[in-house]
Amino acid sequence: MLLQSSASSYLPILIQGIMALAFVGITMVITHLVGPKRRTIDKLTPFESGISSVGNARSPFSIKYFLVAILFVLFDVEVIFMYPWAVNFRELGGKGMIEMFVFMGMLLLGFFYVIRKGALDWEK
Amino acid sequence: MTSLIIVSVLAVAVLYLGLFKYKTALLPVSVTGLLAAAAMAAMDWDLEKMYFSEMMLFDNYAVAFSILLILTTLLIFGLSRNYFEKISNNVAEYYALMLFALAGGVVMVSFHNLAMLFIGIEILSISLYVLAGIRRKDPASNEASLKYFLMGAFATGFLLFGTALIYGATGSFNLAAIASSGAFESALFRAGVLLMMVGLSFKVSVAPFHTWTPDVYEGSPGLIAMFMATVVKTAGFAAFLRLFLMAFAEASAFWAITVAILCILTLFAGNITAVFQDRFKRLLAWSSVSHAGYLLLAILAVGFSASSAVLVYTIAYSLASVAAFGIMILVSRARGNDHLDSFNGLARTNPFLAFTLTLAVCSLAGIPLTAGFFGKFYVFKVALAQGYTWLVVLAVINAMIGIYYYFKVIIAMYMKENANAVAIQLNPGFRLVLSIVVFLIFLFGIFPGLIANIL
Amino acid sequence: MILVWLILILLLGGLLSWLASRWNVLLARWIALGAVAVNFVLTAGIWFGNPVPVGWVAELDLEWIPRFGIHFHLALDGLSLLMLLLTFFLGMLGVLCSWKEISYRPGFFHFNLLWVLAGITGVFLTMDLFLFYFFWEVMLIPMYFLIGIWGHANRIYAAFKFFIFTQASGLFMLLAILSLYYVQAQQTGVYSFDYFDFLETPLPFKTAQWLMFGFLIAFIVKLPAFPFHNWLPDAHGEAPTAGSLVLAGLLLKTGAYGLLRFVVPLFPEPAMAFAPWGMLMGVIGILYGGKLAFAQNDLKRLIAYTSVSHMGFVMLGVFAFTELAYQGVVMQMITHGISTGALFLLAGMLYERTHTRDITRMGGLWKSSPALGAAMMVFVMASLGLPGLGNFIAEFLTLNGSWPANRLLTALAAVGLVIATVYSLRIMQKVFFGPMPQTWPAADLKPREYLIMIPLIAAIIWLGLFPQKTIETSGHAVTEISLKKGGSR
Repeated sequence: MLLQSSASSYLPILIQGIMALAFVGITMVITHLVGPKRRTIDKLTPFESGISSVGNARSPFSIKYFLVAILFVLFDVEVIFMYPWAVNFRELGGKGMIEMFVFMGMLLLGFFYVIRKGALDWEK
Repeated sequence: MTSLIIVSVLAVAVLYLGLFKYKTALLPVSVTGLLAAAAMAAMDWDLEKMYFSEMMLFDNYAVAFSILLILTTLLIFGLSRNYFEKISNNVAEYYALMLFALAGGVVMVSFHNLAMLFIGIEILSISLYVLAGIRRKDPASNEASLKYFLMGAFATGFLLFGTALIYGATGSFNLAAIASSGAFESALFRAGVLLMMVGLSFKVSVAPFHTWTPDVYEGSPGLIAMFMATVVKTAGFAAFLRLFLMAFAEASAFWAITVAILCILTLFAGNITAVFQDRFKRLLAWSSVSHAGYLLLAILAVGFSASSAVLVYTIAYSLASVAAFGIMILVSRARGNDHLDSFNGLARTNPFLAFTLTLAVCSLAGIPLTAGFFGKFYVFKVALAQGYTWLVVLAVINAMIGIYYYFKVIIAMYMKENANAVAIQLNPGFRLVLSIVVFLIFLFGIFPGLIANIL
Repeated sequence: MILVWLILILLLGGLLSWLASRWNVLLARWIALGAVAVNFVLTAGIWFGNPVPVGWVAELDLEWIPRFGIHFHLALDGLSLLMLLLTFFLGMLGVLCSWKEISYRPGFFHFNLLWVLAGITGVFLTMDLFLFYFFWEVMLIPMYFLIGIWGHANRIYAAFKFFIFTQASGLFMLLAILSLYYVQAQQTGVYSFDYFDFLETPLPFKTAQWLMFGFLIAFIVKLPAFPFHNWLPDAHGEAPTAGSLVLAGLLLKTGAYGLLRFVVPLFPEPAMAFAPWGMLMGVIGILYGGKLAFAQNDLKRLIAYTSVSHMGFVMLGVFAFTELAYQGVVMQMITHGISTGALFLLAGMLYERTHTRDITRMGGLWKSSPALGAAMMVFVMASLGLPGLGNFIAEFLTLNGSWPANRLLTALAAVGLVIATVYSLRIMQKVFFGPMPQTWPAADLKPREYLIMIPLIAAIIWLGLFPQKTIETSGHAVTEISLKKGGSR
């Protein structure tokens, strides 16, 4: 047997994980306890290149941005399927060709749907 | 397989019908398509065909459950006329999403590879996350959607982790290969089984992973809650059973005790909490948790009868749930809310609705002459055959608790009066669907052989 | 085939009556009455054709769910025959007594009434245990509606209590039936729910004992025997007259019938072992029920407690394991059905006149309604066991049969007769004699009420004077059952 894995062989990783978490936790707690705390108004105001801040930091953002971003990710990820298909194009043969066309067809239907619904009209 | 393709293409077609504003064609096209899908599924009977290098297997189990899912969806569509129009303008999307969810469900009952199980569950769940949040202006609906999404994502994580561990232990995603791998003793395999069990338990709302159920059911629109309680639950259990029957059956000595404990927890959590509900929708949600418990009993009996028992139980449960949720929608629309007091005097104003709901509730409670009785009987029977007497005794106690809360609504309808109640108007779709359901509940209650002999 | 018709006529009659009530309420009542009457005539026909039935008079065996070996198996012997006669007799009276009383949704009322009767008929006929459970449950829902919709003030609580008690105990029986099915399959390889197959199956004592308790709990809750009696006064007290009549006259009998038909023959040894406890429960029921009956002021609750007391005799007799006692039990089932049924009918008539069930508010009614008083007198006397009336025969046979089984308990049970005298006479005293606290516009019996009362009085007297007919009819069946006992005493 080349690979012999059982639960016990993962034990070092588990210990490593616990150690890492513990280190983070302990240092955070200790700095909190050891460090001196002096709170003044100047220290607590947000610092922005020496200019006093104006307005609320949590200003609303156009929701359309998210929609476009999500759609981009979606189509981008789907295109990834083209790479393995292209590499194996010869072995997959005609059947692979048809299947990829079906896939692209579905993708296109989705794209058309998105446009038709006006999801990409920024001004609307 | 053809039926799966039809359902998927149908979903896209419905989406495009909506895009080009053929709103009146939505329902007829969906119904025709679903009928065709059910017919094509029936053609696959006894063929036992594998597809896509053994990714999917359309055996009789898959065919039977596919048809059940498709027909239940059909019943739900029958109730949906003028329903979504009131909620939103994007009517076509809801039909399409339900069809996509159905396609996911069909994959879930016919997978022969863990990857397909995952894909099926995701197709189903993602559609539902959107459907749960249909009422965008309603905070409850938003909460339902978000809660369902977070819990679902969490469950998927468990499921994937379990899948990975099982792949690690057996070297395959294929159910037959896993079953014949002989790696049942390894800790990896066992951890994988347990993690997959947890993931699936989330999906079918088995305690202690059920906490999302009542909130999500309550927040979702009634018809979507109905869809979750019937189609989603059926698909979830069919997948659960298929996985444990085809891949893990040999290791049943190991996981049976866990399932038994989950079963007890689910039964008690569902039934006892349901007793204290005074809103009918929440009551149904908790009762749906408890029904998951009864279905787990059947999974314990890994013999050949288990699939038949689950099929019979889910048929009975789906029929009764369609009627119960349907009438809940009507009443809450007419009287403003779904509080049990809203049902007062229904027997006087709408004798047909009262009778149908009585029948549905009796079926859920498992009282003879209804299909539900036979479902419970069958489940108890297969569990007893495996020697789980103690478990069946506990289940019987729960059945008694169940009767207590189910009868609250009967009492409200028949024995309490509401002086200013007016008759609720039924559209023809409701009348037709409810009549079919009444007929089938009686038919399967009196001639249970019709459904008991399918598998 | 006739056996299926007995059930179908009632089911269809119920549906027809419901439908008919949309156009004409009177027609609905006539349909209901007709359906039960046809059944009564059919059953009486069987009886006259076979006055001394030996074995199974009629049988029907159809496959129902072959996959599980479930059959639609009905069979009729002397015991079932008597029970059916009682069922349809009281059923007709139930329809008749509701003629004026029930005006709220009469169609649905008759539907429920006939479906209860159909369930009871099924219970008395079926020889397949799955089917038995099926009918056992079919009785419940319509009865629940009868109490819950047409009952008195506290009806919802009473209906619910009735339902939960009987349903819960029924589920234990289901469990026992299922286990029996598997135990049998393990021993003999036969997957069947058939009564006759179960009779042949040898069972290990321990298993048999557990299974017996499953059946026993369902039957003694229904009966009801002492610790499980407390649903009964509520259900009887709150039900409408026809409901009380069916409950007391018939539903309780299904419990007694179950003990005789299933518990004793299927589990003879454990039943023998349980016998002293069973008899003790019977005696406690007799004495405690009588004591509580004496303490009631509500007439219907009072009668309900007398039922508890009388059903104690059934427990006593069943667990005495002698043929004589079994004859007594059968007689007790019939005479109690008639006499208590009649008392509930009379209580209903009194309620129609006075609108109260409180006997302290009644009094001196004899003057205004002597015929009503006379009828009450007959059945009160029957209830206390006056010789010449049916109940005397029943109690005498039961006590006589129990004497060899357990002398002490039988003697204590006999004390119950004294208590019965006390509470029975108290009814007469409070209702018909003594001062009149209030003047009631109490009319005497009307023709319809005469029509109800005269057959009842005739029946109870006939049973008291000529019990031989009845004893002969059930004779063979009872001998069969008593032969099943595990050992001889």
